[in-house]
Amino acid sequence: MTDSPGLEQGYRRLLGWYPRAFRREHEDEILAVLMASAPEGQRRPRPAESANLLWSALKMRLRGPGAASQSWPWSDSLALFSLVAPLFLLLVDALQVALPYRLPKVTRFPLVAQALARHPEIGGLSLLTVPLFDVTVGCGVIVAVLVLLGLRWIPLAVMAASVVYWVAVGQSIPWIPYPLQLLTTGVYLLGTAALIASPGPRRGRQLVNWRYGVVLLVVAAAVQVSTLMYDAMRPPWVFLAPSTGRMAVYLAGSVVLTVAAVVLTVVWKLNRYFLLLLAVTFYPYALQLAFTSTGGSTDLLGNPTPAHLAALFLPPVLFACGTVLAAVAPRPSRLLPS
Amino acid sequence: MQEATFLILTALATGSQHGYGIITDVSQISGGRVRLRAGTLYTALDRLRTDELIAVDREEIVDNRLRRYYRLTPEGSEKLAAEAARLQANAGAALARLNLARPDLAGGTT
Repeated sequence: MTDSPGLEQGYRRLLGWYPRAFRREHEDEILAVLMASAPEGQRRPRPAESANLLWSALKMRLRGPGAASQSWPWSDSLALFSLVAPLFLLLVDALQVALPYRLPKVTRFPLVAQALARHPEIGGLSLLTVPLFDVTVGCGVIVAVLVLLGLRWIPLAVMAASVVYWVAVGQSIPWIPYPLQLLTTGVYLLGTAALIASPGPRRGRQLVNWRYGVVLLVVAAAVQVSTLMYDAMRPPWVFLAPSTGRMAVYLAGSVVLTVAAVVLTVVWKLNRYFLLLLAVTFYPYALQLAFTSTGGSTDLLGNPTPAHLAALFLPPVLFACGTVLAAVAPRPSRLLPS
Repeated sequence: MQEATFLILTALATGSQHGYGIITDVSQISGGRVRLRAGTLYTALDRLRTDELIAVDREEIVDNRLRRYYRLTPEGSEKLAAEAARLQANAGAALARLNLARPDLAGGTT
């Protein structure tokens, strides 16, 4: 064993390549082992030791934060989110197909009435005829299965492929309901950050329980009811066949379900950071809904300006980037006082 | 299960140990054949903790340095026992066949 300050400084420099969460937990401990293993008189790390530490640091970074990051308060929430977000999105997709908005009868305009007779609902089974929706849901199913298996990088690749497909078939995007687009974007953004920055879905599997399932079911129901409200208050239906009574029911229903989800989270003492992640995921969706319900002349996403896109997506993008940086960015190694 | 993982779990089978203790014990168990480096050891320990096969037992400060002790969890003990049984069965099968083909290699009688 040696007490050479130069050797310790050299080891600390090498340990600076490890992920921050790992260093926070293990730096002093590994340093103690390295110093104990060093023979008397050693002044700097040997090449083989340096190579081993650098190689291990690379493996840790590629693997993502492990057990060491579990002391980071966000870690478990992100791990949970990486597991349940893809499942939640599938649930929302299923509800969009199963519970479409049925358009009210229009009697004053015969041409409109004829058109509505052919397409009496928004969403529903007609969504399945949109290839973009089918491909997206197909990718969603694959991602959900992969995260349930505890995998991290392959679901990320599938999500990336799905996004590339969205961009490639851009002209088909209007056929997907805007609320669903916004929610999918939110889940993909935060889901990507969670997969990169957390110990991953395997850790999520250890943490998840039926209570999270119940809360997410209630949230998905709130999403569907608020989507029905959004469909009801959109032009031209709101002018051709106003349905104030139904809108009031939808509004009340979505508020009650949202409050129920928050109350269940508090009563069951579920992870509060997880609730915040959900809130950030829902931010674009809630903004679009608020904009339309307060008399916005058009959808934020329907005819987007750069300002619209920035308002919708910049906060969750910044949040996702900040989360990843906080988890994996290197920290300057602590040098010994001279 | 990788050999290093197997040896680390084996080192912890008799009780909790700290990092340097695991390194020396693994070297002893393997007859000096496997010498774990610190980077390799802590990558493995982190993975084993994530899989809940080991857990932190306690921490001490010795000579102003942090010493953290790890112990096997019940899941870790089960996994090690299963792996040891698997290796034993494989080794038994290999030795039995060698005994049939080349008794001198398996230490059998002629």
